Amino acid sequence: MADNNQILGTRHLLGIKDLNEKDIQLIFETADTFKDVLNRPIKKVPSLRDVTIANVFFENSTRTRLSFELAQKRLSADTINFAASSSSVSKGETLIDTVNNILAMKVDMVVMRHPYPGAGIFLSKKVNAQIVNAGDGAHEHPTQALLDAFSIRERYGDVAGKKVAIVGDILHSRVALSNILCLQKLGAEVMVCGPTTLIPKYIKTLNVKVEYDLMKALQWCDVANMLRIQLERQDIRYFPSLREYSMLYGLNKEILNSLDKEITIMHPGPINRGVEITSDVADSKQSIILDQVENGVAIRMAVLYLLAGQR
Amino acid sequence: MKSILFRSATILHPQSEYNGKKADVLIKNGIITEISGTINAADEDLVLIDAEGKYLSPGFFDLNANFGEPGFETREDLISGVAAAAAGGYTGVAVQPSTYPPVHSKSEVSYIVNRTKDSLVKVLPVGCISKNREGIDLAELYDMRLAGAVAFSDGTKPVTDSGLMSRALLYARGFDGLIFSYPEDKSIAGAGKMNEGQVSTYLGMKGIPSLAEEVHISRDLYLAEYNESPIHFSTISAAGSVSLIREAKKKGLKVTCDVAAHHLVLTEEKLEDFDSNYKVKPPLRTRADQEALIAGLRDGTIDAIVSQHTPHEIEFKEVEFEIASFGIIGLQTVLPLAIAAGLSAEEIVEKLAIRPRNILNLPVPAFEEGEPADFVLFDTEQEWVFSPDNNRSKASNSPFMGAVLKGKVLITGNNNQLFNNI
Repeated sequence: MADNNQILGTRHLLGIKDLNEKDIQLIFETADTFKDVLNRPIKKVPSLRDVTIANVFFENSTRTRLSFELAQKRLSADTINFAASSSSVSKGETLIDTVNNILAMKVDMVVMRHPYPGAGIFLSKKVNAQIVNAGDGAHEHPTQALLDAFSIRERYGDVAGKKVAIVGDILHSRVALSNILCLQKLGAEVMVCGPTTLIPKYIKTLNVKVEYDLMKALQWCDVANMLRIQLERQDIRYFPSLREYSMLYGLNKEILNSLDKEITIMHPGPINRGVEITSDVADSKQSIILDQVENGVAIRMAVLYLLAGQR
Repeated sequence: MKSILFRSATILHPQSEYNGKKADVLIKNGIITEISGTINAADEDLVLIDAEGKYLSPGFFDLNANFGEPGFETREDLISGVAAAAAGGYTGVAVQPSTYPPVHSKSEVSYIVNRTKDSLVKVLPVGCISKNREGIDLAELYDMRLAGAVAFSDGTKPVTDSGLMSRALLYARGFDGLIFSYPEDKSIAGAGKMNEGQVSTYLGMKGIPSLAEEVHISRDLYLAEYNESPIHFSTISAAGSVSLIREAKKKGLKVTCDVAAHHLVLTEEKLEDFDSNYKVKPPLRTRADQEALIAGLRDGTIDAIVSQHTPHEIEFKEVEFEIASFGIIGLQTVLPLAIAAGLSAEEIVEKLAIRPRNILNLPVPAFEEGEPADFVLFDTEQEWVFSPDNNRSKASNSPFMGAVLKGKVLITGNNNQLFNNI
């Protein structure tokens, strides 16, 4: 259905690690087209008619699942949803069995979120279906990174040469890792910033800058991606309280206005208003948080469309 | 057992006058009846083995293997464990107490000893340090010792309570008992599943820093010194641990340690595909650690190489990396891994046959006429493939399954029995 320039170098989307720059640009160009579609009065295209996709979520998610589901519906795919808590699954049926049971009902593609790093990679070797990783532990969240980079590209025309600071809990964040890899592949410079206890000791091996002072990070960057503090992902306390986190790493309007340039504010959501960023920052014109959400659907349509083309 | 004549074997035995030399060795009814430059084979019922270029040494001795019996026989039982050990060149194995129930009293110790008393491989239980392996109260160490326990350890459950460890060291000293310390500070290791480093960062995994091992070793060295007790560290994995133990030995502490064979050849990069057959504890570390471990073996800081044989059913390995069990089977691959690490045949005999027995104060089987024949014949050049056909363990969780390995165990003999793999 497509010439070689229109084919991704991977059969699954397990992580940004699977993609090269050409793949990412192809996804962006495809997403451009779908974004136009989404702004038409008739938002639906027949591209994935007769393709059945299972959204298998072993971890709570609202927006990623909605975004995937909407992307699938806009492409006319048939979708089914399966949600289970990871604890009940780890005690009973194995992941391979769960997914094979779903596949036995003639499903073509599996979009999976899982609390364990590498779960998608493991599954892709064991079952016969295309796998899209919708987040695996603190490993990767490739579609989030793609939509983040796509939103930066939309704002500035290009990602190359941009300086992006990722602020917050880097240790527990799949968004951070996928963002770092994706932005670097596109030629951006990346800095991570957060409490010392939430920055992995060996993070510099990923060729990122490290800054513990929020003010300095903001002065350096063009874009600040303020990560959500995910207390549910922390098995022990890495900082004393949200209040103290907010004192050190919370972004408010006062700080933003004190900068001598206008930076762009991003957040993968859902926002803890008043923790990572204050409401006036979230709702300011410098914030592109809702654009990220909109672009998420277009990016996921592009990914599903391109992968389906390889079946 | 038929009579065997080894023709022109290279003898590796530090106490033998033939050490490093070629000799013929005649074994009848499990007894060495003659060792000399040339033996005239008159007996017709004789198995003649051309051992030219092959090494004959005392059978290997493993300080760290897990056989699942009692309780986890679906992983491994004493029979299959012994079979795997014999195939790996072992005539003696100290088994870890990580069974169900744990080996924490005379009953379990006696059970294991009695079940294996006629086997080719001598199975010597390591008893628990603590009751129920809970790390709270001392188990009956002396009673276990009388029943045949050769050392004490809580397996891969580190003793977190410093007071308990101190008392165990002091108490065991009273009857020349030896404590094995498995060094891992749990509060630092946390929920880590692999080494903390470049690879864990790239994989989004929480890491177990070397620090967790080093802090625990430091503590236990202080405790051993204070109590004037000997101590043995099991399966050290980090460069810092080698340094700590090297310094302690210099100071004159009675400290010994071992390393698992897989840590000599594998590093953390193997985990990049989330293959659970590389999930071991302590975790695979960096190239620098690997080099430090080999250097530690060479300079005598590390006394022995162990298999850390840890069988698991496939259901515990073919799952997401995060929930897969730690450990791999190792008894049949220690020799080739030691060769791959660059050790000479002499060094291998030292680290696999001599020092492990020294650590436990066990006699090294003598190569003298009239002595029971306890030996292994091995080749350091021959290649073979580790496969389900020749794997003698019940489990198959090895990253070397299917791999071409250099260095082969040809014959293992002990207790008037033979494992013949020629």
